[in-house]
Order: sequence, then structure tokens, then C-alpha cells
Amino acid sequence: MTASLEKGIRVLKEVIDAPIASYFNSCVHCGLCAEACLFYTETGDPKYTPIHKLEPLRRVYEQEYTLLGRLKKMVGLSKPVTDDELDQWQELVYNSCTLCGRCSAVCPVGNDIVYMVRKFREGMSASGHAPAGIKGAVTRTVTIGSPMGVKLPAVQAQMKHVEEDYGIPIPLDAEGAEYMVMLSSMEIINFPEYLAAIAKIMHQAGKRWTLCSTAFEATNAGIQIGNSDLAKVIVSRIVEGAEKLKVKTVISPECGHAYTALRWEGANLIGRPFTFDVKHIIEVLGEFQAQGLLKTEGFETDRLTFHDPCQLARRGGVIQQQRNLMNQVAKNFVEMPDAGYMNWCCGGGGGASAIEEGEELRLEAFKKKKSQLDVVKPDRLVTACANCRIVLEEGLEHYQMEIPVVGLTELIAEHIPEKGA
Amino acid sequence: MTISNDKEFKSALAGLSPSQQRQVAARFVQAVFPLSNDVRIKAALEAAGRAGISDAELAIVAQAANTARVESFTQCGREADWSAQVGHFVAKAAVACVKPAEGGGNLAWDAAMQARMARTCQTVADGVGTENREAETQYRILEAFLNS
Amino acid sequence: MNELQFLTWVRGPGLDIAVGIFLLGVVWRLFEIYSLGRKKDLSAPRHAAGASGLHTVFRRSIPPPGMLKRSPVSYIGGYIFHIGLAIVVFLFAPHILLIKNLTGLSWPGLPSQFIDLAAVVTMAAMVMVLVDRINKPVKRFLSTFEDWFTWAATFLPVLTGWLAVQHLLLPYTTMLALHILSVEILLVVLPFTKLFHAFTVFGSRWFNGKVNGHKGVPV
Repeated sequence: MTASLEKGIRVLKEVIDAPIASYFNSCVHCGLCAEACLFYTETGDPKYTPIHKLEPLRRVYEQEYTLLGRLKKMVGLSKPVTDDELDQWQELVYNSCTLCGRCSAVCPVGNDIVYMVRKFREGMSASGHAPAGIKGAVTRTVTIGSPMGVKLPAVQAQMKHVEEDYGIPIPLDAEGAEYMVMLSSMEIINFPEYLAAIAKIMHQAGKRWTLCSTAFEATNAGIQIGNSDLAKVIVSRIVEGAEKLKVKTVISPECGHAYTALRWEGANLIGRPFTFDVKHIIEVLGEFQAQGLLKTEGFETDRLTFHDPCQLARRGGVIQQQRNLMNQVAKNFVEMPDAGYMNWCCGGGGGASAIEEGEELRLEAFKKKKSQLDVVKPDRLVTACANCRIVLEEGLEHYQMEIPVVGLTELIAEHIPEKGA
Repeated sequence: MTISNDKEFKSALAGLSPSQQRQVAARFVQAVFPLSNDVRIKAALEAAGRAGISDAELAIVAQAANTARVESFTQCGREADWSAQVGHFVAKAAVACVKPAEGGGNLAWDAAMQARMARTCQTVADGVGTENREAETQYRILEAFLNS
Repeated sequence: MNELQFLTWVRGPGLDIAVGIFLLGVVWRLFEIYSLGRKKDLSAPRHAAGASGLHTVFRRSIPPPGMLKRSPVSYIGGYIFHIGLAIVVFLFAPHILLIKNLTGLSWPGLPSQFIDLAAVVTMAAMVMVLVDRINKPVKRFLSTFEDWFTWAATFLPVLTGWLAVQHLLLPYTTMLALHILSVEILLVVLPFTKLFHAFTVFGSRWFNGKVNGHKGVPV
């Protein structure tokens, strides 16, 4: 056994807990998880069955934590987990799983399969079996501060762009602000309009907010690759920044996994509860709306539909706010089938979109999203995750569907009246 | 007339007809086009620059420009290549130029903003920081267009 | 060994051994699984009505939106045979008598014709799910020897019991003895195979519901 395989298996042994044991023992091979997974439904290949993605982990569990399994191992009747096998499983665990969680939502015996995949990735990454694309993202996050190599000057360029072109100042390192706004590299690079939108909304709501020069990056590639140590480093930066600036709430941007990483895994990674709140920007907008701080004028009249990012809705619990916000600025908002917590994944989350060799599979899986859109036939598609946006645009482009994609925060901001332009 | 700030810039643009906006927008993007050199964008700008362009012709170049835009997104988690990102914003600016006229909106302003972002990406890529004079360049372009 | 000795054995020592292994097995396996424990969740919880571990224990029996039409046999066949098994096992007078002898508890049973119908329906449903397991690519792909074996271990008690009551195939004494033996086999393997889901389904659904309830999502 190589050193790295040994390390990987040791990590897998450590992550197994009562829930995982309960899940493996409850699985009756009914295959319903496959029926919920877009990588299976659009390809018809049973190897993408979610519970199957965990087979090596199941064997480690059996061989280490069950009496019969240990006995079998002693007499040489059990099949050990090998490097080759983990190598084969890389595609299943990373390329064909976006941690979307639909499998966990449907398993009749209650198995939380996505939880197990997340844990399995810890062993995969420790044994060196994570995809190059995500490995790079993690390295860049730890050394540079962002998975895409975005440094503070780039952020400052964005800030300047917004300040000059939209006429709204962007605070940096303002101590005692109520909100600390985080960005994802995706927004900084691809969607500068997002920062402008936040500035406009905060300005109107009269809230004190700030960016943080040492913690502007929300994306947590450590979670995606499955390396809790690195994930912890990334979260710690944010915690330090938030505590230094003494903010009440940290806002996670329109990015799915950033929210999951910070809101749900963050405290567990650093080993103590946070001293501040964490909210997704859509949650914050929902609050502003409920408090009457979001005054908009005019309506979109074209036919709009909303794509619920998996990490926001099903995995994040923010399901109604986006609908209320849509209704505030759209006259013709129609839901796609399975909208809300059972929405189908865009196919690119969980680090999947960083994996070049997985592109063909993602485009095939996109047929599921296409089928939802074919039913509702919208003029435009609205969403609240920068990665979903790009994955959706690429998918739509590939299938020659002319449906522009917009971000919800920007859409709302467009309806905020200009102040004496 | 002279233009000395964004307020004046924006309202001057808003006062133009869609066709005129398209033409001046094309000039804004031309100023940053050398940073990209994508033939689809060249075609889009050439079409937008023509006064009597039909909607059908616009639709064709619009689709090609949009493909150029979507292709040049930086994927989440991939290493950001600021030089490549320039091309993305040039494409975005070109797409703004050949957008259909209905629905209002100040397409020339959108194109101008994207062109400025392209220039900013270039300066970040060159490592010379974020200062650039693209806004002023655009004011001069607009002035020349209005005075012609 | 003649048929009467066989019957006496399965009713006596056989039953003792099987029930003993079953009880010890269940206790050991529950301990083996749940003693692993889990870390406390330090993230701030959301509180949403109807979202909790307990809710999911019950609610997960309902097919989630869109799933029934994707795999009707799994749900419908599954419901029928589980409910059928429960009816046959717990509402048939001779079984209730057995339980009374073992534990002192008893309750009214259902008329035997009804149980007869339930048994037949249960077997039909089980055959239906077996055929589905053979035909459907995902089920076939996932299935191991254990899946076929546990199917047989669950099917045979119903079949042999029904044959015994109907006085079919073999003389009653032998059929009855085979029935009891098949139940003993089922009891012995239950804690150590996927059949243990009968006990762990509650824990699994509860963990799942709790985690999602923490986030405010009723699942």
C-alpha cells in the first residue's frame, strides 16, 4: 500500500460516523437515488448511481467497523480498496457529482448520500485522487487568496470601476459596519455588475457595509475538493476579517458553495460557533424587502423563470425569498417544473465546472435543465449563483437556446430608482 | 459640445437614436478591439457601424458575438487569465452593440462600461494596476461623433 | 429424522437459537452502528416548521415530488409487500398466539380469508419487485448475491406459510416445519444483511431530517 493510499484510507476511517454507518446499513439497493440524479437520468449509465459512487467508502466501513467485516478481512475474504479503484472512482465522485443533494432528498430509507460523498472526497483528496482542476483551485486559494488567482488589486479595480461608472462609493475595511460583503472570484472576474448592484441596494437601504481587504473571497475550494484542513484555512480568514471589523453579519455572495461552506460547515471547521451571522445576499434582500427597505419601480414584463441554485435552496434553506423578490420586479414570473427545493442542478457545482475532462458529461446532463426550460419557455432565466449563470449560459449556447441569463441581485438593483442622475 | 464627466456622457448617449447609439458604441469597442482580435467581434462591430443595418443581419452577428462571449467565461475554480478575460469583456461590449433596439436601455452606455472593464483587465494583466484613461478616450470619441 | 421430529426441533431448539441470534444480533448491530457517534453541529440553526428528524421518519415514506412516475414499481410494489408482510405477520391468529406465548402480549387478528388474500398479494408484489430488480439497469447493476438471497429469505416464509395453510405441495407437518425453518433463517440473517434496514431506517431518516431541519428544509 502506498503512503498516499494509506493516508487516504486513514482519513476515510476518521470521517465515518454513526450517520454514515446507519446509511450504509439501510441501503436496500432500490436505485431511487439514481432516478433523482441528473447524471444518471440524462445518460442512462447506472455507474452514476449516487450510492454506487460510495462503494470504496462502504468497503472501508465494512472492513473497519463491523464485526463480520473484520472477521472476513482476517480470513482474507474481503476486497481491499486500492489506488486503482480510487483512480477509477475519481470520475464518479467529482465529475459526475455536484453535491446537489437530490439523492439525499429522495432516498426512501433516509440516506444522506451527499453527506457521504462530501466525506468520501476527504479520503480521495488525501490519497491524491482529486481532479487537477480543483487541486489547482485549492492551491491558488491558499497561496493567493482566491481559487482563480484574484488578488486585492483586481478587487480594487472592480471597486474603482463601480465607483466611477456607477457613482457609488465602495467602503473597504470599514470597522463597525453592519455588513461585511464577500465576493466570489467569479463575480470579481466575470460579473462586475454584482458589486454595483450591492452598492446601490445598500445605499438605498441606508445600511453601513464594507468589503474586507484580507477576506473578500467567499469561494471555498477546500470544501469542493474535500480537504477540511484547507477549507478551515479559508474560513478562518473570513472569521478573522469579520471579527477584526466587528461586523454583525457576513454576506455570502451569489455563489452556491460559498454559502454552504461558510454558513453550514464554517463553524464546524474552526471548532467554535461564529460570533456573527452569516446570510446569503438573497436572504438579506429578502429581509430588506420584508422591512420595506427595498423600494423599486417598474416591472420586467417578459416571461421570466428562476433557477434555484442547489446550495441556496435545497441545501441552504433559502427557498421563498427569491420568489418574493422576483414578484416585486416581474409581472410575468413563471415557475419551472420541480422548482424550489427539488430543482434540478445546473450540472456545474461542487467543483465540477473546474474539471475540463468532465465537460462532455456536464453538457449531456444539461439536457435535464433544457427539458425544464422547454416546458416553461421563458424569455429570460434568472438565478442567484455566479457559477450556475456561467454553466447555464454554456449549456444554453451548446443547445442553441436563446435565453439570456441574469442575476437576481442585479435584476433588483436595475429597478432601484436613480438618484438625480 | 464637450463632455467632461459620466453624467453628461450618459445623458448624451441616451439622447441618441438606437442606430446612432450602435454606431458610437461600435467606436467605443473598436478602441479596445486590438486587445481581442476575435473575428466574430470584428464582424459584429462592422455591422453595428453601418447606419442602415437590418434587424436580420444584426441577429446573425449578435449570435456569433454571444458565442464569443460565452466561450470566454472563466470557469469557477480555473485560474484567472486576465488577458483572456479582456477578450471576454470586449465580446460583452460587442454583444451590447448589436442588441436589438426594443426594450429601451442605453446600449451605448452598456457597451462603454464593458469596454472600460476590458481596458481595466488589460492593465491588471500588464501588472500596472488599475488606472486607465478609457473613460476620457470615450468622451473624446463621443464628442467627435456628435460633431461630425 | 421424521417430519414430526423435524417440526418439534424447529419449534423448540430451532426457535430458541434463531430468536436468540436475532435478539443478540439486533442489539449488537445497533450498538456497532450508533456507538460511532457524531460531531455536534456548531453552525447556527434555522427553525422551520415541519422540518426535523422526527418529521422525516414519517414523511420519507411518501414519494418526493416527481419520483413516483420515475419508478412506480419501487414505490407501489414496495408499499404493497411491506404492508402485506405486516398484515400477515402480525394479524394472523396463529402468529398472534405465538407472540402471546413468547411475550404475553396479544391483540385481535383478522379473518383468515383476508390473511390468505394478503399473503397472495404480498407474494405477487414481491415477484413484481424481483422482476423489476432484474429488468431495471440500475437495480440490476447494484444487486449482489445478498439482494437475491434476502429476497428469497423474505419470500420463502410467506410462500411456505401460505402453502401450509392451503395444505398444498407437501404434507402439512412438513410444510409447517419448513415454514418455521424459513422464518428462523430470516431471523438469523436479518441483523447481518440489508434486511437490518428494518431497524436502521428510523435512525437514517432521523439523521437526514435533522441535518436538513437544521437548515430549515423539510425533507
